[in-house]
Amino acid sequence: MKTWQCLTCGFIYDEALGLPQEGIAPGTRWEDVPAGWRCPDCGAGKADFEMVEL
Amino acid sequence: MALSNRIADFDDAAFDPFATFESATQSHSGEDPYRRLAEMRRQGSVFELDYRELLGSPPDLTMAGLPKYMVLGAADIQHVLETPQLFSNTIFERNVGLCFGRSLTVMDAPEHTRYRRLFQKAFMPNVVAKWGDTLVDPVVHGLIENFRAKGRADLVREFTQHYPFQIIYRQLDLPQDDIAVFHKLAVGLTCIVVDVAHGVEASQKLGAYYALLLEERRNGGGSDLVSTLAQAEIDGERLPDEVLVSFLRQLINAAGDTTYRATSSLLVGLLSNPEQLDAVRRDRALIPAAIEEALRWEPPVTVCPRLTMQPVVLDGVEIPAGAEIDAMTGAYNRDPGRYDEPDRFDIGRRPQRHMGFAYGQHVCIGQHLARVEMTRALNALLDHLPNLRLDPDHPPPQVLGVNMRVPPAVHVRFDT
Repeated sequence: MKTWQCLTCGFIYDEALGLPQEGIAPGTRWEDVPAGWRCPDCGAGKADFEMVEL
Repeated sequence: MALSNRIADFDDAAFDPFATFESATQSHSGEDPYRRLAEMRRQGSVFELDYRELLGSPPDLTMAGLPKYMVLGAADIQHVLETPQLFSNTIFERNVGLCFGRSLTVMDAPEHTRYRRLFQKAFMPNVVAKWGDTLVDPVVHGLIENFRAKGRADLVREFTQHYPFQIIYRQLDLPQDDIAVFHKLAVGLTCIVVDVAHGVEASQKLGAYYALLLEERRNGGGSDLVSTLAQAEIDGERLPDEVLVSFLRQLINAAGDTTYRATSSLLVGLLSNPEQLDAVRRDRALIPAAIEEALRWEPPVTVCPRLTMQPVVLDGVEIPAGAEIDAMTGAYNRDPGRYDEPDRFDIGRRPQRHMGFAYGQHVCIGQHLARVEMTRALNALLDHLPNLRLDPDHPPPQVLGVNMRVPPAVHVRFDT
């Protein structure tokens, strides 16, 4: 399980936690997050995220 | 201490920016804006109205003459904040631009995105987490020590009103002798909406001071925030001084004033609901939920203004180009279509997006630091003030204000 961070606002997507409130189940890998998904805080697209070690 | 005494006070040293700013945020009528916003929302989403005028707040002189619209529906608010090509942040050139300068707030993409990413690097979650131990804890513990033996306190006047500002002074590594005037000028900047002359004077004097600070630290290799930003590069180039000074001018207001307000309202929510306070006291893992609920229930800033770049139709209302659009993020957070019983403070709510830090490209750059600060502050208060509770000798605390909200006082008692 990996974590991905938005470069614009710092929002963290944690694959283990998913984003149930946005309809993304815990355990959803980054590549399985829909291509049109956008950062829930700033609206940036998936291309604006990078993998980070926490 | 090389810079000591190089900071200039207002020419009229008797000018009180604190009182002026507080009066600019309040409603003369004392009306609860959320009751009025809920009544309006039942009628529609978009209204040709001036929010400040509607609630009896002093008019924003810097926006005089613009047609003004309020947006209350959740979907329309989201649309406004995620469509900068139609709803532009350049509206802030009229006030923020005058007092802070060319800060991120006045910019749209792509210029905004380029600078935002560079400044955001200094405020990423992993960076600010380290400040919890080094900057935040010493400040909050020091402040609590001043009153913990008394058994009673006003947590606004003795704690929340000070702690985020003291953290910023440490971040900036300001000379101790400069702090009183620095704070006065920083608050003076924000008076610009009702007192343009003093706002501009504060901007010039703080700008001159920051220019000195930058010159001193640019090649010093220090680790404070000024040194870090002064040495930061974007596409191989240093940040322009104008952009850097403008960011620093805005910092005290953006990071200090908002955190003071948010923490004060968090305390009102918890102390007014003792069973929720007890739950948090017993299980500190509930603190993040309490903070998010406080930011939903009483966001420190209730409105995000934007400027229409062309004629638009929103919820059937025709809006001309050059109009002020107030996206009512406070109303979004109290929308009964999104939250059950939205006026109730309830830390047990299902996690859901709120706009306590706004939304979109201009979402709060310091939100991760604010969470660290509020977490450390609440933990310290619960650790050091046993049986913390509202003081029955005082009326229950109330959160007040129109575009910015805070309780004027939170009187508490605790065991010593």
